[in-house]
Amino acid sequence: MKRITLLFVVLAMLLAACGAPVTPQSQSPVVLRVGWLGFPDTLNPAYAFLSEAYTIFDLVYSTLLTEGPNGKYMGSLAEAWNVSDDGLRWTFTLRPNIRWHNGEALTIEQVVWNFNTFIQNPDGWVTNSGYVKGFKEARALDERTLQIELEYPISNMEFRVAFLYIVYPKDFESFATPEELQNFTNFNPVGTGAFKINTLDKDQRVILLDTNPDYFDGRAKIDQVIYRTFDNSDALIQALRVGDIDLAVEVPNSAFDAVKQFQGVTAISLSGRSLTELILNSVPEDHDPPPNRNPAITDPVVRLAIAKAINKQDLVDVVLQGHGIPGVSIIPPTLGGGFWFNRNIQDVTFDLDEASRLLEEAGYLLQADGVRAKDGVRLEFRLQYPSDSSNYPRAADMIATWLGKIGIRATPAAVDPDSLMAAVTPNGDYDLVIWGWGSDPDPDFMLSVMTSEQYVEGGWSDSGYSNPVYDELFVKQQKTLDENERQKIVWEMQEIVFNDRPYIVLWYDNTLQAYRSDRFVGFLTYLSGIDSFKSLMNVEPVK
Amino acid sequence: MSRGGMLGRKVLFSLLTIFVVLVINFVLFRVLPGDPVRAVIGRNVKLSAEAQQTLREQFGLDKPIFPDQFLDTLGQWARGNLGISWSLRRPVAEILAAKLWNTLLLIGLGQVLSIVLGILLGLLAGWKRKTPFDVFALTFSLIAWATPTFWLGIILLAAGSTWLGLPTGGLVSPENVGKPLYTVLPDLARHLVLPTLTLTILYLGEYMLIMRSSILEVLSEDYILTAKAKGMTPWQVLWKHALKNAMLPIVTLIALNLGFTVSGAIYIETVFSYDGLGKLFQTALVKQDYPLLQGAFLLLAVSVIAANLLADVLYVLLDPRVKPT
Repeated sequence: MKRITLLFVVLAMLLAACGAPVTPQSQSPVVLRVGWLGFPDTLNPAYAFLSEAYTIFDLVYSTLLTEGPNGKYMGSLAEAWNVSDDGLRWTFTLRPNIRWHNGEALTIEQVVWNFNTFIQNPDGWVTNSGYVKGFKEARALDERTLQIELEYPISNMEFRVAFLYIVYPKDFESFATPEELQNFTNFNPVGTGAFKINTLDKDQRVILLDTNPDYFDGRAKIDQVIYRTFDNSDALIQALRVGDIDLAVEVPNSAFDAVKQFQGVTAISLSGRSLTELILNSVPEDHDPPPNRNPAITDPVVRLAIAKAINKQDLVDVVLQGHGIPGVSIIPPTLGGGFWFNRNIQDVTFDLDEASRLLEEAGYLLQADGVRAKDGVRLEFRLQYPSDSSNYPRAADMIATWLGKIGIRATPAAVDPDSLMAAVTPNGDYDLVIWGWGSDPDPDFMLSVMTSEQYVEGGWSDSGYSNPVYDELFVKQQKTLDENERQKIVWEMQEIVFNDRPYIVLWYDNTLQAYRSDRFVGFLTYLSGIDSFKSLMNVEPVK
Repeated sequence: MSRGGMLGRKVLFSLLTIFVVLVINFVLFRVLPGDPVRAVIGRNVKLSAEAQQTLREQFGLDKPIFPDQFLDTLGQWARGNLGISWSLRRPVAEILAAKLWNTLLLIGLGQVLSIVLGILLGLLAGWKRKTPFDVFALTFSLIAWATPTFWLGIILLAAGSTWLGLPTGGLVSPENVGKPLYTVLPDLARHLVLPTLTLTILYLGEYMLIMRSSILEVLSEDYILTAKAKGMTPWQVLWKHALKNAMLPIVTLIALNLGFTVSGAIYIETVFSYDGLGKLFQTALVKQDYPLLQGAFLLLAVSVIAANLLADVLYVLLDPRVKPT
């Protein structure tokens, strides 16, 4: 009988819990509750890989410059900056009276220490290392002026320094080896940013941030931000619906229309920086190891026919349920407010008859089983995609169906992302792959994906595309300081890639988010999402 | 051989099994396709090839798997060190310890409830065979057993948060994070209601079914007829003669379940964003975080083997026919 008594006690406890009132919230502090699906891997800028870490860096730390509307850079720690005529010396003037969260004043020596540490210790500061490539040395000219000397002119310098968070040197000085530095999770960071960490629980994955009243650019209009991690998007959406959270950072395409109907909730669909592409194996024949593929995939006529057989608008409508636009170039139209996107590129039109005719004329003749072939080479391709996407299976089926209609047999297959990555780079063991990228605000990274030097173990090229002319232009755009000159090169590069088709860019997906508009107003939409640092600075409660 | 000797031998075998499991796991994780460095940093971190090589060296992945990596790992284990997680950059032992208690709390509650209710209802159903109660109980347990965890969790989550105002996930409310759990018991209890209910319903069906069939078998035995003939009340027959004999299959099931539920709560933990081991196992696997994977599977192996050991011991105690050999 004892066990039964225990049972009743437990039941009674649970029932009591059901009836207990919701934790009362005090009236005064304005708390914005954010729900997301991830959690920072670390708050150490030397070694952070997840985007969630960068969201928190933006709140806690500051950078010299920060991204503003239309891809222009605005001052943050720096109030003025300029570059010498030869492009080798950048000078930044700091704002006066900047304080760390602990009340100490920020000194120019600390800023110099930051840059020189990043430059001298690339093995330790791995995530910063790419951004200080080509930096020679930082020095203080006076107590508010920083000078960075470069080894060669760097065209996207503003973008680069907008990424380099200025950390509190005392927290980072003591590490002797790169490994020690990287094992430091820095979950209680001291920064100069608009918010400071109050509580961070890495196991329950909750972050409470208080507004920094002394922030140099003015105090935020809310008092506290709470980030809470959900392990599945259904629960996240439900939490928004019942008001457990005020902002859902990610809304699945399939849930978006339902979320729009929620009372007191506003759902937002923003054009973003990501793209999804069809990769066509473009690895040079003499590459080591040699590519393993159906050789027909390198035939420009076959590539054009494939491009003509894909109805991108249909993909957007069906796969993304309308939340995106058809893709053209490897540079998304949002970069730099459209400045970097080559809008002159005319996409090929969807035309199955024309695609069939092209293949027919090139000598690919229909066989009895409905698949075309030329000189014994049948148009049969693997169509692989990483298994962690919910969008790709559908896209692959649709593409396979269209290709089937022009006599190309594509066999869709989901592959574990790691295995797929190993097969693609640098082994070239694939024909067609669907995958996607999240672009930087600057075009440099997306352009680098098409360079020959990236097609190595650990590199970012997956198509294996190799074109000396393109490679040369890539280096040139990195060193061209004049924005309009650089734009010309960047546009030319996009056109080359478009015509050679190592990628057929399928679509640019939107960022889908939602918030409790019955509680908060003032979210800004100009950056990557309404959860950006600038947006949180502007948010205020509904009066 | 004495009971003590048998126990000693069983413990020894268990330890040996754990070691073998460790070695097999070491090999298994490393034959997984893919590159842990790439898995840890993901596809969208713009890390240069040189920086990736630095990480590879730090993880010890530049050395051959055998003997270097294997001996390094063995040496670490021998010193009682499970290493540092590559993706979380924290000691594996610390991560596991933090999650273990939460999982034990959830599973403990759910298992106690489902075991007690399951045995009770299964017993009643068997006793009242072919009555409407039995039909209802049987239908319920079949449905409960067949229901997908994820689905039931989501349905309960939606219903509970909409109509009862219960939380949508987590262990405690964000305001209470960081405080010792015993100071926020009502909040903790509110957060536990839905996951516990899900777990209870899911296991209840299984326990009820096994208990019902077990009791039916026992009730057809001659000694039950004898007991009835002696003039014992039905309650006495059930309690003193039937229940004890019908418990054996249940003990096996409980032991097996306890061992595996440490990993098996993964769906429930995912639905309710509950900070436990199940979710951690998944992360470790996705990130190919070898130190974390090895630590997690060590814990899993130990709990399964310990639960089996416990079942062996209980068998000897419950059933005098099981002779220690």
